[in-house]
Formats: sequence, structure tokens, C-alpha cells
Amino acid sequence: MTVDVTPTVGEARVDVVDVTRRFGDVQALDRVSLTIGQGEFLTLLGPSGCGKSTLLRIIGGFDRPTSGSVRLSGRDVTNQPAYKRSVNMVFQRPTLFPHLDVAGNVAFGPRIAGSGGGRAQVRARVDEALAMVRLSGYQDRRSHELSGGQMQRVALARAIVNRPDVLLLDEPLSALDLTIRLEMEEELRRLHREVGGTFIYVTHDQREALALSDRVAVFDAGRVEQVGTPDDIYHRPATSFVARLVGDANVVAVDAESTDGPHACVRIGDRSIAVDGDTRGPAWLVVKPENVRVRATTDGVIRNGDHLTGTVADVSFRGTGFSYRIAVAGLTELVKAEVTGERPLPVGDEVTIGWTSSAASLLARPATRS
Amino acid sequence: MNERRQSSPVTAVFVVVSLVFLFVPLLVVVLFSFNSIGSLSLPFRGFSLRWYRQVFESPVFRSSLRSSAIVATATAVSTLILGTLAAYALSRARTRWRAPLALVLFLPLTLPGLFIGLSLLVLFGEAEVSLSLTTVAIAHLVYVMPYFLLIAVAALQRLDPALEEAGADLGANGWLVFTRVTLPQVWPVLMGATFLAFALSFDEFVITFFVIGPESTLPMFIFSSLRRTVDPSINAISTLLLAITLALFAGSFYLTLRGGRRSVIAVTGETGSA
Repeated sequence: MTVDVTPTVGEARVDVVDVTRRFGDVQALDRVSLTIGQGEFLTLLGPSGCGKSTLLRIIGGFDRPTSGSVRLSGRDVTNQPAYKRSVNMVFQRPTLFPHLDVAGNVAFGPRIAGSGGGRAQVRARVDEALAMVRLSGYQDRRSHELSGGQMQRVALARAIVNRPDVLLLDEPLSALDLTIRLEMEEELRRLHREVGGTFIYVTHDQREALALSDRVAVFDAGRVEQVGTPDDIYHRPATSFVARLVGDANVVAVDAESTDGPHACVRIGDRSIAVDGDTRGPAWLVVKPENVRVRATTDGVIRNGDHLTGTVADVSFRGTGFSYRIAVAGLTELVKAEVTGERPLPVGDEVTIGWTSSAASLLARPATRS
Repeated sequence: MNERRQSSPVTAVFVVVSLVFLFVPLLVVVLFSFNSIGSLSLPFRGFSLRWYRQVFESPVFRSSLRSSAIVATATAVSTLILGTLAAYALSRARTRWRAPLALVLFLPLTLPGLFIGLSLLVLFGEAEVSLSLTTVAIAHLVYVMPYFLLIAVAALQRLDPALEEAGADLGANGWLVFTRVTLPQVWPVLMGATFLAFALSFDEFVITFFVIGPESTLPMFIFSSLRRTVDPSINAISTLLLAITLALFAGSFYLTLRGGRRSVIAVTGETGSA
């Protein structure tokens, strides 16, 4: 009789319902509700301290919400400790057991579960899991003989060998070098393609979130700002926070006035600029750096189609072009621009900047938040 | 110009005098234990093992050695079990009782042996427990526990708590995390601390003096021999005691340092060649 020893990740649906978590006076999570669909790769994205890791730890059973609940495939697991949950985690730091070799680490879960089948089957499962993360032949290595990337692969194998209903990943790549990180991203995508299953991934790296996820939930100060596909959150940010975090966009507080046409009109300094959009009143003007056009000027005269004049404050080489920081009179923040080209404009040069009206957008600016 | 700072001759003399002061008495004891004549003063006549032979032929010595071994073993084993549990609780508990508890557990370090011995004697008397090797072992447990705890708590606190979470994540309940994740990593250090407990108990005198029954431990035997006659067999016994204790301390240091290094690697996740 052959037994299936392939590692898998189940396609459990996870419901986070009204979860609040307070640490003393600090509100880490504020009534967060989120549904992670069956077999979905969902990323919790946000700056450090935004509550994303706290939520992951609550889903994993390492922490309990002050109020609210967590459901796994519809079952309430809020008060179930980690060791009883069919959920496995890959931690930020490598957490391989130093007293065990690679095979011992991967076999830890199956041995604890004692799920029958005996030694031979455990070994077969370990081999399969290591093959899945391309570490066949590393069974006898100790953790100190592995590189950072290999350690995280073992941690991945150690998680999926248990066939969890959901796989949790808590910034698993943040401790790795850039090249290894890109390679591991590829591995994670491949793993999700091959084994499927529900993945919940935590990161502060927007590039990682966009590259890996089916959907992204953007967190700020314990609240979900926006949930959407990478395309959604990148191209249609719901808030200025998402616009800044995901697109690294230029965000300027403006007042949008109605015009005769379909456009709104905003004032920056003494300039009036037309912007697409329905928002009127206090608003955020959002322009992505790659949509900002930068042209040299010598006379301070604004060219046709441009909007503002400024001075190059900083320029750095970006391979395909240059990244500028431009000081504009009337704006407190420097304007960011990503421009393709071969020769940079030197720091101190006067420039005019502009964008097409469809490249800018307006977001409502609630009076209470700045 | 940036050479090593010159130590002044005064410092050098001070160091040498200190070392001489510390170790010459020990060397004299060891030396005279091998003297062939029954004199406790110079000159040294010739090498002989007659005092060792004499000592080992003494039934009182043999029973004292056995008593010391029994007491030290009982002390070491009970310290290992109770101390490990206490250290785990101290290093993991998140309660406001942690600091007061630690204070109480470490307090015997600061108490004079005289006081510990006397108070235990009173306690045993009140509880109507007759004095025996058991009461000695209990007293030694009180005395060595803080030393064990200091080492064990430090080792446990050095461990990465994420490793225990990883164990729980993989389905291990509290007990399994303790036995399969925590213990294997601190085991060498705990063994080192146990050796230390054994050594401390093996040559403990003051507290033992108060709470011992009709039996005699090795240090007690040396003391009572001194009161009767002074002959070089005392040197032989003392040398034996010194050798055993030194061996135990060496073992303790070796295990503690080795274990410490291992858990440091675990924490830093130091990587070797891939």
C-alpha cells in the first residue's frame, strides 16, 4: 500500500471578525475584519508597528485578541492554543532547532503528531518536503551549516510537511540579502502554484507584497486601510497612506474646486492645475513619481503642458533612468520623480515639472487626519 | 607608541605575592601528603603513598567517603530536578511575583552558612525530624540551589523564545516544548551546574556541622581527625578532596562553556559555509 506523502497546504478560509488587541494603552489592532479566501495568497502590508504581525500571531494562536474572533473554515478557534491549530508558521528569524539536523527539524511536527505510518513514512514525508523546497540531500546538515536562505527553506519545509490548513509567513525574507530575497520570492510563488493552499504573508516591503499576492491588505495604526488586488492598491489607492506606501506617490494636500468641465481644479502656489476626478473640497492630490515629467529650463518660464517650476535637490542613478527629488516653491515636501533617460540634470538646476491630467488623482481628505 | 601598557613592578610583585599566598598552602598540603615520614614540617624526606594507604584502610574514612558521595549525589540530583523546573518558571513566568520569587530563591547566597545551618537545625528540631544524611542533603539543597539557579536561569534566558513558539506551532504542547525544544538546548549547561552542585555539597562543612546525625561526611571526618591527632594522613585526605572537587569544577566549567557557546550560535543564527 502506498501512502501519499506529498506536503500540501489546505485551502481553509480564514475569517477575522472584529478583532481588537490592546497592549496596555497601545491599540495594536482596532476592530479589524478580514476574510482570507480559500487558496488565496493574501499579504498583510504595513510599516512596523501597524499591527500586521500581531494579527498574524493571533491567527497562529500565539496571541489572543482583546475582543473579536478568528474562524478557521468557519470554526471559531479564537481560544485554541497554537499547538492545537492546524496552522503552521514560518518566522522572521530562522528558528531551526539547533540540537536537531535538517531532517530532525522537518520531522519535528510529524513526530509530535505521531500520525502513524512509523519511521519510514516520516522519512518519506521529510524527503518529499525537502525536495519541494529544493533541499534534497541536506537531511544531515546542522542549522549552523546552512545559509540564511537555506534556513528559511528548511523552515518552509518544516511547516508544509504538516499539511496545515493555512500557511502563515511572518516577514520570512526580511533577514535575507537582496539577491537571495528575490530568489526566495520566486520559490514562494512556485510553491503556491504547486501546492496551492491558503497563504497569509506579512511584510513591510510593498514590492514583495505586489510581487507575491493575490490580494493585499494594507494596514496602518491597527486598522485596515484598503484590501485589494496588487493592481487595485497600486493604481487605485483608497487613501493617501496607501498611495504613499504602495506607490511611493507624491501626495499633496489641496483644495479641489469645481470647474465648468469634468475636471477639478487645484491650486499649488500661484498655479491652477486641472485634475481628473469627482472629489471636491479638501483633497489629496496623488501623482506617482514615474508619471512626473521633468524638463530643464533656463528662464523659469513654465513650458507648455507643465505645471510647476522647481530646483533639483537630489538625483540618483536608477539603471533605466534617474530618480529626482525636486524642491518646488509652495510645497513642504520634495517632489519625487522617476525619469528615464541617459544624462541626469545636475543638482541645483532649474526645471519645470508636469504630468498628464489622467496621471494625477484626487482622494478625499478628511478634516481630522493630516 | 601604542604598545601594551606597561604594568608597574609594584603590580607584578603584588600579583606574585597574592598567588603565592593563595596556592602555597595548597601545595604544601599536597606535597606533604606524599612525604615518607610522619612529620608535618620540612624537610621533605622522600616520596611515598603510605598515608594514602593508611587512609584507605581506615573504615571510618571509607564510610565518610561513602556518606559524602551519597549526600552529594542526592543533593545534585534533587537540585537538577527542582532547580530546572524553578529556573524554567523564573525565566518564563510573566507575573509580578517573579522578582520577589527570584529574591527569595537567591537569598541563601547572601546568608552566612552558620545562619543557614542553625535555622535548619531549629526547623528540624521543631518538626521532630531526626538528624541524618537526609537532613544534610536537604540543607545542602538549600545551600547549592541559588548557584544552580544563577547558571540555569541565565542559560534559559539566552534561548530564543521564538524557538519555543516554533515548537508550539509544530503541535507540541507545553510539556513537549519543554522536553523536546528547551531541555535539549540547555542540557549541557544544566549538567555543568549539576556538577557544581555536587562539588559544593561534597566539601561543604559549616552547614553540615549543624544538621548531621551520627554519620560523618568527608569534611567532618577531616575536622574530627584534626582534633585527635595531627598526622600526614590528613594531608592525603585533603588532597583527595581537593582533587575530586577540582575535577568536578573543571567538568562543570567545560560543560557550561560548551553549552553556552552552542546556545549563542542558536540565538545569532550564525551561518557557516553553505
